[in-house]
Amino acid sequence: MKKLFKFMAIAAIAVFATACFEEPEPEPGPGPDPGPGPDPGPTPVAIFGINVQLKSEGANFAVEGIKVTLTDDAGIASYDATTDANGSVTYQVPAGTYSASATYKTAEDGKRIAFNGANNNIAVAEGSTSFTLDLKKVVSQQIIIKELYFGGCQKNDASGAYRDDAYVILYNNSEYEADATDIVFSLIMPSNAHAANKYITDGKLMYEDLGWIPAYSAIWWFTSEVKIPAYSQIVIAIFGAIDHTQTVTASVDLSKPEYFWMSNTEIMTVFKNAKYKTSEAIPTNHYMTTFPVSAGNAWVLSVNSPGLYIGKMPKAEADALSQDKDNYDKTATLTVAKFPQDKVVDAVEVFDAGNLAKSLFRFPSSINTGYVAHTGDQGHSVYRNVDKEATEALPENAGKLVYMYAMGTYNVLNGTGSTDESGIDAEASMANGAHIIYSDTNDSGKDFHQRVQASLK
Amino acid sequence: MKLKYCGMKKTLTILFCLLFCLKTVAQTVTISGVIVDKATGDPVDFSTIQLEATEQWAVADMNGKFVIKNVPVGKNRVKVSCLGYVELVKIVEFSKDVTNLKFSLQADNLTLEGAVVTAQENANSATTSRTIDKTALDHVQVMNVADISALLPGGATKDPSLTSDQQIAIRAGSGESGSAAFGTAIEVDGVRLSNNASFTNSSLSGRSGSVAGASTNNIASSNIESVEVITGVPSVEYGDMSSGVVKINTRKGKTPWSVTMSTSPKTKQVSLSKGFGLGVSDRLGNLGVLNVSAEYTRSVSEPMSPYTSYDRKQLSVSYSNMYNRGALHDTPLHLTIGVAGNLGGLDNRSDPDKMLETFLTHRDNALRANLNLNWLLSKSWITNVELNASAVYSDKLQRENSLYTKTTTTMALHSAEQGYYINSDYTPGGNTDAVLLPKGTFYNIMALDDRPLSTKVTLKANWAKTAGNINNKVKVGVDWSTDKNFGVGEYTEDMSTAPSYREWRFCDVPAMHNIGAYLEDNFMLNIGRDAHLNLIAGVRNDNTVIPGSAYGVTSSLSPRFNAKYTAFTPRTRSREFLKEFSVRASWGVAVKQPSFAVLYPTPSYFDIGVFKSTADANNMVYEAYYVMPRTINYNPALRWQRNRQAEVGMEMNLGGNRISLAAFRTLTVDGYNRYTDYERFGYNLTTEASVQGLAIPAEDRVYSVSPVDGTITVSDRTGRLASVVAPNTPTKQFVSSYSEDNDDNPVKRYGLEWVIDFKRIKSLNTEIRVDGTYYGYKSVYTDMVAYCPATSKSADGSPFKYVGWYVGGNSTTNGTQTRSVKTNLTVTTHIPKVRMIVSMKLEASLYRYSQNLSEKADGSARSMVITDKNNNMSFTDGSVYDGPCYTVTWPEYYSSYDDPTLRPFGEALIAASKDADKSLYNDLADLIVDNKTYNYTFIADKISPYFSANFSVTKEIGNLASISFYANNFFNNYAQVYSTKTGNWSSASGYIPKFYYGLTLRLKFN
Repeated sequence: MKKLFKFMAIAAIAVFATACFEEPEPEPGPGPDPGPGPDPGPTPVAIFGINVQLKSEGANFAVEGIKVTLTDDAGIASYDATTDANGSVTYQVPAGTYSASATYKTAEDGKRIAFNGANNNIAVAEGSTSFTLDLKKVVSQQIIIKELYFGGCQKNDASGAYRDDAYVILYNNSEYEADATDIVFSLIMPSNAHAANKYITDGKLMYEDLGWIPAYSAIWWFTSEVKIPAYSQIVIAIFGAIDHTQTVTASVDLSKPEYFWMSNTEIMTVFKNAKYKTSEAIPTNHYMTTFPVSAGNAWVLSVNSPGLYIGKMPKAEADALSQDKDNYDKTATLTVAKFPQDKVVDAVEVFDAGNLAKSLFRFPSSINTGYVAHTGDQGHSVYRNVDKEATEALPENAGKLVYMYAMGTYNVLNGTGSTDESGIDAEASMANGAHIIYSDTNDSGKDFHQRVQASLK
Repeated sequence: MKLKYCGMKKTLTILFCLLFCLKTVAQTVTISGVIVDKATGDPVDFSTIQLEATEQWAVADMNGKFVIKNVPVGKNRVKVSCLGYVELVKIVEFSKDVTNLKFSLQADNLTLEGAVVTAQENANSATTSRTIDKTALDHVQVMNVADISALLPGGATKDPSLTSDQQIAIRAGSGESGSAAFGTAIEVDGVRLSNNASFTNSSLSGRSGSVAGASTNNIASSNIESVEVITGVPSVEYGDMSSGVVKINTRKGKTPWSVTMSTSPKTKQVSLSKGFGLGVSDRLGNLGVLNVSAEYTRSVSEPMSPYTSYDRKQLSVSYSNMYNRGALHDTPLHLTIGVAGNLGGLDNRSDPDKMLETFLTHRDNALRANLNLNWLLSKSWITNVELNASAVYSDKLQRENSLYTKTTTTMALHSAEQGYYINSDYTPGGNTDAVLLPKGTFYNIMALDDRPLSTKVTLKANWAKTAGNINNKVKVGVDWSTDKNFGVGEYTEDMSTAPSYREWRFCDVPAMHNIGAYLEDNFMLNIGRDAHLNLIAGVRNDNTVIPGSAYGVTSSLSPRFNAKYTAFTPRTRSREFLKEFSVRASWGVAVKQPSFAVLYPTPSYFDIGVFKSTADANNMVYEAYYVMPRTINYNPALRWQRNRQAEVGMEMNLGGNRISLAAFRTLTVDGYNRYTDYERFGYNLTTEASVQGLAIPAEDRVYSVSPVDGTITVSDRTGRLASVVAPNTPTKQFVSSYSEDNDDNPVKRYGLEWVIDFKRIKSLNTEIRVDGTYYGYKSVYTDMVAYCPATSKSADGSPFKYVGWYVGGNSTTNGTQTRSVKTNLTVTTHIPKVRMIVSMKLEASLYRYSQNLSEKADGSARSMVITDKNNNMSFTDGSVYDGPCYTVTWPEYYSSYDDPTLRPFGEALIAASKDADKSLYNDLADLIVDNKTYNYTFIADKISPYFSANFSVTKEIGNLASISFYANNFFNNYAQVYSTKTGNWSSASGYIPKFYYGLTLRLKFN
C-alpha cells in the first residue's frame, strides 16, 4: 500500500512539475491592449493614486514630514510616504485593503506628547481614493509598564516549559520621583487575545463607548507607600517571589528584597495555588493584595497573550470596585468588574505569534492601539522600546548610551519577531549610568518588542 | 405499591397452582437417529438436538448419532444445531419409539440465501430480543462488542475505539441520569461481567455523573459466535441488572483451523482458533470437544503518533462433553468448562520527541472461568437440573509516571487522621504523615491496584409438561454471587517524592453477597393449527448483604410478566398475504445492585493550609495543614436502583414484508445520588507575613505546629535565639460532607422501535431493511441541595460564610428532556452464486430535540427571567421557556456560618438591596446562579437532519477463505447541521463517525 501511495505521489509531482515547466506564465509587459484573442495573458494590475489626510479632533493635522506607513491586508507590501504641509500623503498602489498608521512626537509644556493613529480599513478601488487617518493625542505617562515576562522558559531537561516565574516591571519615565502607591494592576478579557471575544459586536468593542474596560480575575494594589525615583523601576513578582534559577537555570531570580509580590497578605483562603511563594528577603510591606472578582485559585495571567494594564486609584476604591456586584459585567463567560477607562495609566496588548490571524484587539483605541507578538515557553519577554529622540536629547546621557542592541528577536529571514529599532541597549545604557526614556505612544506595536531574554536574567 | 405487589403475588400463586395441577401424561418414547451434512452425507458429530416443548436434549456422538429417552408423546419442536451449520427447526410428532430419525444440516456460508447481516428478531421470544450472528459480526468486522449497538434498530455507528473504555447502554442516550450502562448486564458464555467490585467506576458528583458499565474492551471479538440482546423484560433468571441483557456466545464445537487477520488504520488483529474432536474411548465413550482460541489485537488512538495503544492478548479454552454411560445411561449429563485469560491494557507513553519519561499504563488483565453441568433427568416431576459456576478476576493495575519540577520544597500529605501537620524530611521507615518533598526535577510513579473478583453459583431446575394443547414449563432457581476487591488501592513506588495521597485499601472492604431466588412459569396454550398464547410470569427475590459494613440486608423483589399471542405464523399461511401476526406485552421490575464505588466512595480530605513559611536562601519552604477527613455518611437505608419497564410489541408479515414494532416505557427509580452537606470548622492561620523578618535567620528556623490549635512556633536550630510564637488569625469556614442516598426523582425513558424487512427482490438478490427508533427521555431533579461557593470570599475578607439551598442544585438548569428519531436504511445484496454480500447502510437522524429545564417538583418556575443581564434584581414574571432570555436562579434558603437557621433567600436579598446593606447584598449575590452569557439556555434545540453511509462487502473464496471490507461514512460527509438553540451551523462530524475503513481476511483449513 505504501509503495502504491509513493508511486502515486511521485506521479502527481511529476505531472505537476511537467505542467510547471511546459506552460510558463507569459511575461507581463508594456504594450497596447492585445484585445480578444486566443491567449490574452494576465489582466494588467490597476494602479490607483490615493490620498490619506491626517486629522486630529476633526481638523486637518497640518504638519509636514510625518512618516505614514501603508500596509496591505496580507502584511506583505508596505509603502512609506511623508506628509506635505497640509498633513496629507499620496500613494500609487494596486486595489485592495490597506492599513495606514502614523506617529508624530512633540512636546507641550514640558510633557512629551505623541499623536498616534491607525486606519485599518483603507479599501482602495475605482472611485475610492481619499481616506483620513485620525491621530489621537497621547500625553506620556510618568509611570509605564517597562517589561512583562509571562510566557515561561524551558526546563533544564528540555521536558517543557516552566511558567511560575512571571513578573512585571514598572518604570518612572520621567526626571521626577513618581508616586506609585495608588497604581493598581488588572487584566483585560478574554485572557487570550486569540480566544473568542464576546465583547466584540460588529467589529467593535462594546465597552469602548461605555467608559470602562473589563477587569478580569482580580485587581491588585500595593499595601504601602511606593515611590519610584526618576528613571528607575520596581519589579513585581506575580506568582513566585523566589529564586527560580535554583531549579530552572533559564529562569529568573525574583527573591530580591526590593521586589514586590502579588499575594494576598491577609489570608490564604483565595488564590491558594501552590505557585504563590515568597522569599524571606522580601519585606511584608512589599506584599500586595487583592479581592478576587471571579473564581479561581490564581490570577489568570495568560502565558500566551495577556492584555495587562495599570491604573491609578486609591486602594479603598479598588477594593470597593472589586466587591461591588452591581459593578460586574457578565457579557463574557466569566465575570469581570468594570474598570473606568479614564483611570487607566498604561497597557500592553500581547498577541500570540502563532495565533496572529485569530487575535483581536481588546483595548479601546484611546488606551492602546497595536500589539506586540510573543512566542511562549522560550524565556522571551515583551520589553519597552527606547524613545531614541528623547533619550538622546537628555544632556546627562552624553557618552553613556550603548548602541547595537542585540536582545531583540527580529528574524530578517522570515520577518518574525521584533526588536527595538532605536538600536539603544537600554539595560546596558542604564548600567552605564544613562537615563532612558521609553517610547509611550499607546501603541503596543510601536512601544514594545519581544526581547529574547528577560531583562532580569 | 404494596397493593400492586400483593395483587401480583396472588396472581402468580393461582397461576402456579393451576399449572402444577395439570394432568400429567405418563407415556414416553425413545427417539434416536443421526445428524448428517446435507451436502456430503457425512455425520455431523457433536451437534446438539433439543426438544423445545419438553426441554430435553442430546449431543450427537462421533458418528452423528443421538438418543433421547423418556420423550413424552405428542408434538415437539425439534431444534438441531452445530457450529458451522444453519440451525434446523422442525415440528415433529412422536407417538412411538423412533430409531431412524435423520436430520440434515446445511453448512453455513454465503451460498445460502438465508445469510443475513443485520440483527434478527427472536421470533419465539415473548419480549423484545434480537440476535446478531457470526455472519453479521464478520461482515461489519466488530472489534469491540460495544460496536454491535449500531446493528440494533436506529443504531448509529461510532468511531471504533479500544483506547477508551467502551460500554453498552440499552435503550438510553449518552449523558443521561440513571447509569443505564451500569444497569446493562453483559454475559460471556453465562459469565457475568460485573463492575460491582470496582471502586473506580463512578463519576457520581451530586446527581451528575454516572456509574460506569462493564467495559467490553477485553472481550476477544474474533471468537464470538453470536450476540443476543434482550432489550425487553428478561426472564427472572437475570438479576443484578436494570436495563437489559447482552449475551455473548463464543464458538463451541468441532471446527477446522481458522485464522483471521484484520487491519484498519488504528487497529490490527490476528487470531487463531480450532475446535478439536477428542475422539472416542472404549471405556469413557466420547471424549468431547476442546475449543482453543487465541487472539492478539492492538489498537492505537492516533496512527501518526502511536504512543497511546491498547493491547488485547487473549487465550480461551473450553471443553464440553456429554456423559451417558453407566449410571448416566438414562439421564445424560452435559459438561462445559471454559477458561479465558486476557493480558493487555492501555499503554500511554509520552512521545519520545517530548523528552519526557512520563507514562500511564492501565492493565486490563482478566481471567474468566465457567463451569456448567446440565443433567437431563426427564422425570415426571423434573426435567433438568443445571449447575452454573463462574468467576471473573481482573487486574486493572494503573501506573502513572509523572514529572515534577519544584523550585522550592513542598509538602505531601499522607495522613488520614484529623489534626495539624507540618512537613518534615522523609526518612525510610519513618513517619510519612506530612513529607517535605525536595526541590528540583524528579519523577514519581503512582499506582492504583484494582483487582475485583466476582463469583456466582447458580442452581436451577426446570420442569416441562405438555397436556393436550397446553405446554407448561416451570423454572426455579437460586443463585449466590459475591463481589470482592483484592487490590490495595493507591500507592507510590517512591514515598520520598510522592505527591499527596491517602491509603485506601480496597481489599479491606468486606465482600458483597447477593442471594437470589426465583420462580418462573412459562405457559403456552396452542389454539388451533397455528395460533398460540404464551404467558410468562416470574418473580425474583434478591437479598444483598455486606457483613461487617454499615449496610444491612437489602431485600428487593422483581416481578416480571410477559404475554404473547401469536395468531398466525408463516408455517401455515405461506400463500396468504397476512402470513404472520403476533402481539405481546411485558411489564417488569429489575433491580441493580450498587458497586463499591457507590457504597464506599473514595475518602477525601480537606487539607486546609494553616501555615506557609517564606523561602530561605536555599528555597526551603515549610508548610502546615489541618487535615480534616471529609465525613462520609454511609446510608444503611440505601435502596437499590430499579427500573420499572413496560413494553408492547407486534410482529407481522404482510406479503413477505416482515414488520416488527416495540413500544416501551422505562422508569428508573431510586437512582444513586451523592448529597453534599456542610460542616462548620475553625482554625488558626499563619501566613508568610507572620514569620518574615523574625530575628531568627530563615536558614536556622525550625517550625513546629501545635496539635491543639495550629499555632506555629519558630525555634532557632543553633539555640542562640529564643523561640517565638508566630501571630495568627482565627479563621472560620465551611467544609463539606457527603452521603449516598437514593434519588427521589424518577428518570423517564420511552420510545418506539421499528424494523421493516421488505420482501427480498429476487431478481436483484437484494433485501431492504428500514429500522429505527423514536426515543424520549426526561429527568428533572428537585431535591433540595446545599452549596457553598468555596472559592469566593466574603465582603469582610473571610472565607465565604453562607450556604445556599437550591431546588435541584446550584446550576441554571435542573433537568433535561430529549426526543429523537433515528432511522437506518440497509440495502443488502447477497449473490449466493458468487458467495458475496454487499451492504450499504444509510444512518439518518431525522429529529434530534433537547431542551434544558428549570422547574420545581410541582412544575412551577425555578429560575427567573431578568431584563438587564447585569442587574440581578431586574427579574420579571416571564417564563424562561418563552424565548431567548437571561436568567437568575436563587436558592430557596440560605444559612450562615454564625446562624445555621434556614432563612428565605429572596426576602433577604431584596431587603439587603433596599436597605443598602451592601456587604450582605454582595455576599448573597454570590449565591445567585446567573445565566448571563448565553440567552438560549432554555431554547429548544432541534438539530437539523444529518446522515452517514456505511459500506460493507464480504466475499467468500470457496470454503478456504473469506474477505471483508468496510468503510464507515464512506462519502466522508462533512455537511453542516443547524441548531435552533444557538442559531449556528456546525459540522456534522460532531454527530457522525469519521471516514474509516478496515479489511479482514479469514482462512479456514483442516
